[in-house]
Amino acid sequence: MNATVFEFKDIWKVYEMGEVKVNALRGFTLAIEKGEYLIVMGPSGSGKTTFLQMMGCLDRPTQGEIFIDGTPTSELSDDALAGIRNKKIGFIFQSFNLLPKLNALENCSLPLVYSGVKRKSRMERATRLLTQVGLDDRMNHRPAQLSGGQQQRVAIARALASDPSVVLADEPTGNLDSKSSVEILRILRELHQSGKTIVVVTHAPDVAEEGDRIVYLKDGSIERVEKRSPRPRREEGGYDGNPY
Amino acid sequence: MEILIETFRSLLANKTRTLLSMLGIIIGVTAMIAVVAIGQGSTSNITQRVSSLGSNVMIVSAGFSGGSGGRAVTTLSEILSLRDVDSFMEYCPDIDKASPVLQRSYTVQYDTNSYNAQITSGNENLYQILGLRISSGRFFNNEDELQFSKNVIIGYEVANRLFERKNPLGETIMISYRIGRSRLALPVTVVGVLEKTGSKLMYNVDRMVLMPFSSAEARLFHTNGRVDAILITTKSAEGSTRAKAQIQHLMYNKLQDSRRFSITSQDEILGTLNEVTAILNLFLGAIAGISLLVGGIGIMNIMLVSVTERTREIGIKKAIGATRRRILLEFMIESVFITGIAGLIGVVGGIGVSEIVRFVGKTYNLTPVVSFESILIAFGFAFLIGMFFGIYPASKASKLSPVESLRNE
Repeated sequence: MNATVFEFKDIWKVYEMGEVKVNALRGFTLAIEKGEYLIVMGPSGSGKTTFLQMMGCLDRPTQGEIFIDGTPTSELSDDALAGIRNKKIGFIFQSFNLLPKLNALENCSLPLVYSGVKRKSRMERATRLLTQVGLDDRMNHRPAQLSGGQQQRVAIARALASDPSVVLADEPTGNLDSKSSVEILRILRELHQSGKTIVVVTHAPDVAEEGDRIVYLKDGSIERVEKRSPRPRREEGGYDGNPY
Repeated sequence: MEILIETFRSLLANKTRTLLSMLGIIIGVTAMIAVVAIGQGSTSNITQRVSSLGSNVMIVSAGFSGGSGGRAVTTLSEILSLRDVDSFMEYCPDIDKASPVLQRSYTVQYDTNSYNAQITSGNENLYQILGLRISSGRFFNNEDELQFSKNVIIGYEVANRLFERKNPLGETIMISYRIGRSRLALPVTVVGVLEKTGSKLMYNVDRMVLMPFSSAEARLFHTNGRVDAILITTKSAEGSTRAKAQIQHLMYNKLQDSRRFSITSQDEILGTLNEVTAILNLFLGAIAGISLLVGGIGIMNIMLVSVTERTREIGIKKAIGATRRRILLEFMIESVFITGIAGLIGVVGGIGVSEIVRFVGKTYNLTPVVSFESILIAFGFAFLIGMFFGIYPASKASKLSPVESLRNE
């Protein structure tokens, strides 16, 4: 049995929008194990994004407790949470969220700036990661000069900068064409194979195919969980072309 | 260090805006330094003029030293008379020289030129006390005084205005005056021209037209032995305190009221002058300071706009691990950086303006003094303002919730 990385215990999240109270999560309970490839699916408004934000320590639950490696997060300060976001978790967003004024290399090394890594080793690491995602000839391009797929690859490289154990992705292929999507999914799969815990929120069934476990959300709580048999091991590089 | 480079880059990305927000601080610092420099320049200028007389000069005047308020000069001048000059000389052993002073403003004319001059009269001691020097012609002699002569000696500026390049000696000028309703003109002959002198005590020598006392009193002033003031020099600097007491005694005996006359030594004049110029400098400096404050508010404004505009950027940075303190620092450094650079430009500007004033003001003897202290104060103040007005936007930025700022498009 693998160790539990994240544990959600009876999480409630209430957004107050003026007079109206919206229950984004209602008594959500889930444990995520180390090395898991978890898919979260559900219609819009089901609480997928809220769940991801809780998990990514971007927001705190209204009620309930989230444990990260056994540590209750409600006791942690904002800056401690920032530290977790920085070192433990890598984020990949649907809209990439790169800083437009910085080039690929600088974007990629930004998390290392916050953890105080020296400039030289920062640049070395960012260069290696960008090479890994196949952008060795785009280091000095700004996001506006890159295609969507390339931007998302920079974002992935950035998410991996401080070598986090968990990668969270919010609709990572939502803004991409199918070819780029395949590329991104391949990278995520490789990350999973290298031992990282991957959590992907998605609408797309072909993305869901990748996971070990699929959690279906509805109205802020878990509707059902589908456990998938471990994917048949593919030959190295065997899945590089068109899936259709 | 890393942050500095990043800040610099983000400022460069918005050149126009950065420059505009700097403008307030630049102008403020420039104004502050230039104003203080000009103020100090003119103060030292005035001080120099006043102290050029030596420290043992005193003025006895009909006066308001007790604070009885400003009464009209004509009534006040009943208090001092020529007889007082004689009694000072007789009863005050510490007095060296004494001269009555009468001075009124009249229009003088030559050909088609006219000038508003100060017709001034005293005895022969006045010229020595004020240290007047003739550049051409002669001083008055006993004959002038005894014969009520219509001879005058004119100041540098008067000569310049009336005669331009012509030699004034021997020329006749007209002094316009009126008796009742009739306008009259008194023709007088120029027998001497004074060197360019500037101001001595409260008298501007260059604007003077000197006339023998007897003649001026009889023909123009009609003061009947009364005088405006009596100028005194003491035999020694130490004697001035004694002389002051002696005069005080005499005048009190005569008037039975210490509020109706005043005795002012040069040191007191200097003190008052310094006080006045210090207040003036402070006032001008404060105005410049207010403009700095306004500049600071401008910076806060721009920074707030910048925070709103960069909400998403802040969200991203927080999502990948930037702490609150880090965001706070980034914005603080940005505003301090802006004010710092603006302050430096302002310092250069202030020195530049002072130099221009020095160049332009040569003819007025105005030499601005840029002091290190004023630079330090202006720059330091600007820096503090940048910090102070940077705090609010920066803390606002640091408190943004990452979730909400990421939602912001």
